[in-house]
Amino acid sequence: MDRTRCALAAFLPPLPPFFVGRKTPSIKNIRATAKWHTKAVNRTMKNQPPEILPTSIPVPTILVQTSSYIWFYLYTCFKKLPGTQYIISYVRKSHQDDPYRTMVEIVLIIYGIIYFLGKPSKKGQQRGPELTSREVESLLEEWEPEPLVQTDDRNAWRLQKIPVVHATPTDKYVDLTRNDDREVYSKVLNCASNNFLQISRDARVLEEVKRTIKNYGVGSCGPAGFYGNQDVHSNLEYDLARFFGTESAVLYGQDFCVAASVIPAFTKRGDVIVADDRVSVSLQNALQLSRSTVYYFKHNDMESLEDLLRELTEHEKEENLPALPRKFIVTEGLFHNLGDIAPLPDLVRLKEKYKYRLFVDETFSLGVLGNTGRGITEHFNLKRETAVDITVGSMATAFGSSGGFALGDHVMSHHQRIGSFAYCYSASLPAYTVRSMSQMLGMLEQDSSAVIHLHELSASMHSFFKEDTELAKYIEVTSCPASCILHFRLTADFRLHKFGSSEEQIFAEISALQSKNISNKFIEAYEQEDKFLQSIVDTALADHNVLITRNTIVLKHETLPVTPSLKFSCNALMTEQELQDACVAVKNAVLKCCA
Amino acid sequence: MASVSNTKVPFIPPPEISVEDKKDNEFGQLTSKEFLYEVRSRQKKPLRDPILDAPPYYVSVITYLNYLILIILGHIHDFLGLTFRKDRHPDIIEKDGLAPWYSKFESFFVRRMKKRIDDCFSRPTTGVPGRFITCIDRISHDLNEYFTYPGTTTMCLNLSSYNYLGFAQSEGQCTDAALKVVDEYGIASRGPRAQIGTTDLHVLAERYIANFVGKPDAMVFSMGYGTNANFFNSFLDEKCLVISDELNHTSIRTGLRLSGAAVRIFKHNDMDALEKLIRDQIVQGQPKTHRPWKKILICVEGLFSMEGTMCNLPRLVELKKKYKCYLFIDEAHSIGAMGPEGRGVCDYFGIDPSEVDILMGTLTKSFGAAGGYVAADKDIIERLRIDLTTSNYGESIPIPVLAQIVSSMRTIVGELKPGEGKERLQRIAFNSRYLRLALQRLGFIVYGIADSPVIPMLLYAPSKMPAFSRMMLQRKIAVVVVAYPATPLIESRVRFCVSASLTKEDIDYLLRHVNEVGEKLFLKVSTGRAGGSLDGRPPRWDIDEVIRRTPTDCKDDKYFLI
Repeated sequence: MDRTRCALAAFLPPLPPFFVGRKTPSIKNIRATAKWHTKAVNRTMKNQPPEILPTSIPVPTILVQTSSYIWFYLYTCFKKLPGTQYIISYVRKSHQDDPYRTMVEIVLIIYGIIYFLGKPSKKGQQRGPELTSREVESLLEEWEPEPLVQTDDRNAWRLQKIPVVHATPTDKYVDLTRNDDREVYSKVLNCASNNFLQISRDARVLEEVKRTIKNYGVGSCGPAGFYGNQDVHSNLEYDLARFFGTESAVLYGQDFCVAASVIPAFTKRGDVIVADDRVSVSLQNALQLSRSTVYYFKHNDMESLEDLLRELTEHEKEENLPALPRKFIVTEGLFHNLGDIAPLPDLVRLKEKYKYRLFVDETFSLGVLGNTGRGITEHFNLKRETAVDITVGSMATAFGSSGGFALGDHVMSHHQRIGSFAYCYSASLPAYTVRSMSQMLGMLEQDSSAVIHLHELSASMHSFFKEDTELAKYIEVTSCPASCILHFRLTADFRLHKFGSSEEQIFAEISALQSKNISNKFIEAYEQEDKFLQSIVDTALADHNVLITRNTIVLKHETLPVTPSLKFSCNALMTEQELQDACVAVKNAVLKCCA
Repeated sequence: MASVSNTKVPFIPPPEISVEDKKDNEFGQLTSKEFLYEVRSRQKKPLRDPILDAPPYYVSVITYLNYLILIILGHIHDFLGLTFRKDRHPDIIEKDGLAPWYSKFESFFVRRMKKRIDDCFSRPTTGVPGRFITCIDRISHDLNEYFTYPGTTTMCLNLSSYNYLGFAQSEGQCTDAALKVVDEYGIASRGPRAQIGTTDLHVLAERYIANFVGKPDAMVFSMGYGTNANFFNSFLDEKCLVISDELNHTSIRTGLRLSGAAVRIFKHNDMDALEKLIRDQIVQGQPKTHRPWKKILICVEGLFSMEGTMCNLPRLVELKKKYKCYLFIDEAHSIGAMGPEGRGVCDYFGIDPSEVDILMGTLTKSFGAAGGYVAADKDIIERLRIDLTTSNYGESIPIPVLAQIVSSMRTIVGELKPGEGKERLQRIAFNSRYLRLALQRLGFIVYGIADSPVIPMLLYAPSKMPAFSRMMLQRKIAVVVVAYPATPLIESRVRFCVSASLTKEDIDYLLRHVNEVGEKLFLKVSTGRAGGSLDGRPPRWDIDEVIRRTPTDCKDDKYFLI
C-alpha cells in the first residue's frame, strides 16, 4: 500500500487522506502521509520515474500507470522551462497542495476552450440541421420576396392633391395647379406657407443672393471638414449665435435632419432622455437613433414630468452607477403637430432641480415667438444661454431660406463638428442661402415690425376660430394665440359620430400593425378622416380661392398618438382685412363640409 | 449677451479681376485636343478581383509605433491636464452635477490625436471651389486650440472639392439660370413638398433627373445625407434584410438603423462572399424563428469615395436576378463623373438602368448644386412620395439649386452649349487616368480603378498626413487627408479629387510637387503589383519621363489593371 501510493507522491506532494480511497481519515493514515512526503521529496530530488500508482482508485492499473508516466514527464519538462517553479508553487498554494483538484481544473479549462471554439460565432446564427444541396436549391427556389414597396390605390388621392406652385411675383397670392395640371387656380391667397415673415423676397435679400451667386457659384462642393466651409458659413454661425444669444451655432444642410443628428452625437447606451409625448417625427427619429433610454411625460404636463424626474432620480441613486449618465429633457418650442407652446419657465426650473439638460426643437418658433423673433426664450423673458442647452432651428420656416442649425455653448458645438453625422458627412449649405440668412438677421435686428404684425394677425386669427360657436360643434383649435399656424382638427365627438374612431383607437391599431410588422399600414377610419379634411381644403380652394393645407402625417412613421389636422397659416404680408376674409372663407368651407 | 467666439473667419470681399481671369480660375481652358479621353462602356464585363499593393513590413511597424507613441503621449497629456489644468478641460469633467458632454475615453482620439493635426481640416475658403480654391490663411495657436486670421488668402490648386465636372462656376449658363429663377420664384422653400413646397421647377427637375439616370421617375431632396438617412424607413422593417457593403457611407448606415431592418455586412466588393451570404440568408431565414425574410435589399455604392473602387455591377445584377433580391445603388460620387455619357455606373458598365431597382445619388458633386435624388420605377416613386418623411415633414429643395441642376444636366447631355458637356466628360476621364497612372509610375501606392476621379494615395503613418497636407499647402495645392476612423487604422491616405476644370498643365504642376514631397516623406513604397509596372519590378520613374510619356499611355487600358 505504501509503495503504491508513492508513485504520485514522487512528483507531487502527498495527497490528503480524503482523496486516497474512500477511507475515513485515521491517525495512521496521516502519519503515513507524512512519511510519503519525505520519500517523495527524496525521489523528486533524484528525479526517478515513478513506480506504481495507487490501487485504491478503481481503474485498470495499466491506465493509471501510463497516465502517471505521462504526467511525470510533462511535469519534468515543464520544470525545465525558466521561471516555472513560481507557477508551480502558485498553483500548489492556491489549490492547497491538491493534485487531483489541479488536474480536474486543467481538464475543465481545456474543455472550456474547446467548447468556446466549437460554438457558432455569433448569437442568433446557430447552425440549423445540415441541409443537402438539393434541399438548399429548393429553398432558394421557393423563396418569394414581397414587392419592394406596397402600392395601394386607396392612398393615391394624396398625390393628386399636392399643389404645384408656379412662378409669381409675390408669395402672398400664388398660381397653382394640381393633379398633373388638370386643376388650375390663379391668384390664390396662400395660407399654407411656412414662410411666415416673408422677408426672404425683400429686394435687399435678393440683391445679396444674386451677388453671392455671382461670386461663389451655387454649390459648395464639399463637406465642412474638407474645404466646404466658406467665410460666409463661419460668419452666419457667428451672426446666429449673436442674434439668438448663445455662444456658438452650427449649420446643417436640412432642417429635418438636425435633431436626428445632434441628439445621437451626444447620447449613448445608458443615457436618459425624457421627452414630451407629442413631439414630431424628426424628434422621434432622433430618440430612436439616440440609443438611450427614453421616457415620455404627458404633453406639457409639468406634474407628470416632475413625478417622472423624481422617480428616475431615486432610481438612479439606487443603482449606484459608475459614471453619471447624460440626461436630457426633449421638447418643442411650438409643437409641430399641435401648435401649442412648451411651458419653458417650469421646464427650466425642473431641469435645474434635477440636473438635466434641456433640448428644444424651435423649428417653428424661431422668428415667430418673442417681440423680436428670438424664439421661446424671449417669449418667456428668459436668457437662452442659461435656459436652453441645445436649441435646434430651421432657416426654412419663418426666415424663408433653407437649411437648419443648432445653437448652444462652445464645447457642445465643437463636439458636433466632430461627432454629428449630418454635419460631418454632408456638403455644407450653398453660399447664397447662408448670405441671405445673414442679411435677414441683420434686417430683423434693425426692424422687427414684421414679427409684431405677425403676432397681431396670429391673435386675431386665433380668436376668430376660438370664439366662433358655430365652428365649435365641429372643430377644435389646438394651437395657441401666439402661433402663426392655426392647427385645428375635428372634435372627438364629431369624429366618433362620423368615422367611429378616436385618437386612442387609431394609435392602438397602428401600434398593432407595427408590432406585427405588416408592410401595408392602412387604417380605414384614419384614411377617411384625412380624406374628409382634404375635402375642406378643396372646398376652400375651389369656392374661396384660399389655400390651406392638411398637416401631412405619415402614419407608419409615427410612434406617438396623432390626429389628422388642418393648418391655416398667416404671414406678415397679409393685411388684417385679407386675413379676416380668409378666416370667413375657411369657416364657410368647414361648415359646408361638416354640416 | 453670451460670449461669442472672437476669432471668427473674416469676411473676404471678392477680388477685383477681369471676367476672363475669373472664368479661367474657375475652369481652365483645354490646351490641346490630345488631353481628352473618351470613356468606353465596359459592355457588361465584370470587374476583375482587385489587387491591393501592400507596403514593406517596416512601414506597418512604423505606423503602429507612430500610433503607440501618440497614444502614450496623449495619456500623459491627459493625466497632466486633468491634474493641473482642470479649467482647460471643461468638456470631459463633470460640472454642476451634469455629466460631461462626452466621455474621456470616447473622445481620446479626437482630443489627443486629431487635434494635433486640426490645421489640416476645415480650412476656411472663399469664392468658387473651382479649378483654384481660395483658402483663407489662419495661424494656429496653442496646438490648434484656436486660430486667428490675418485676413490674407492663398489661392491653391483645387484637388479637394467634389467638383467632378467643373460646374462650380460663377460665370456661365448655370449661374445665369440660377440668377434668373431668383427673380421669378424667390428663394424660399415655403414648406414640405406634400404641402406647398412643390413648384413647377421641382417637377421639371425631377423629369430631367429621371431622364438623365434612365429611370421612369425620380424625386429630389434638399440634402444628400438626408436622402439616405430618411429613405429606408419608408419601405423596410424588422422582417426585411439588408445586405450592405462594409464600406458603405454613414448616411446609408443611419438610414438602415432608423428603418430597423436586419443588416448583414459583406467584405468590400467580394462577390463570392456576397453570394454565399445571400444563399445562407435565404435558406436560414430570420434568426431564431427561421421564417423567410420579407425581402432582401443589396446596398452598395457606385463609386466608393475613400477607395476609388466601384461596385461590380454586372455580377451584382446577376446575383440579384438569380436570388430575387432588390438592388440599391448610391451613386453619390459616380453620377456625372463615370460612364461615356456621365450617367453613372449603369452607363459605365453598359447595363440598362432598369436592372437596378433604386438609383440614388447626390447633386452636390458633379452638378455643382446641392441635395440628392432617388430614381426608380414610377409606382415605387409614387408610393415613396406618400410615405417618405422628408417630403412630408422636411423642407423642399430650394429654387436656385434646382436651376443649377437642370442647367448643368442640360449641358452634359448637350441641350445647352452643344459640345461643352462632352468635353467636360472627356476631360475628367483623361485627368483621372493621367494622374492615376503617373502616380503609379512614380512609385506611389494608389487604390481604385482606372477611371475613378477619386484617387486615394496611401501615406500609412499618421504623422505623414499633416506633413503632406502642410507641405502641399505651402506649394499652393489643396488636398484632403483622411485617416482612421474613415479608413482602416494603418491606411491613412490623401485623396485627390480630380476635376474637369483642371488642365493637363495643372496636373503636371501637381505631379512635380507630389513627387518632391513624396521623396522627402518616403512615400514611394509601391511594388508595382497593383499597377504602374509591366515588368513586375517596383516602378520608380523619373518625373520628366512620366510627364512626357503618360499622357499618351494613359489612354491605353493595358497599363491599368481593370
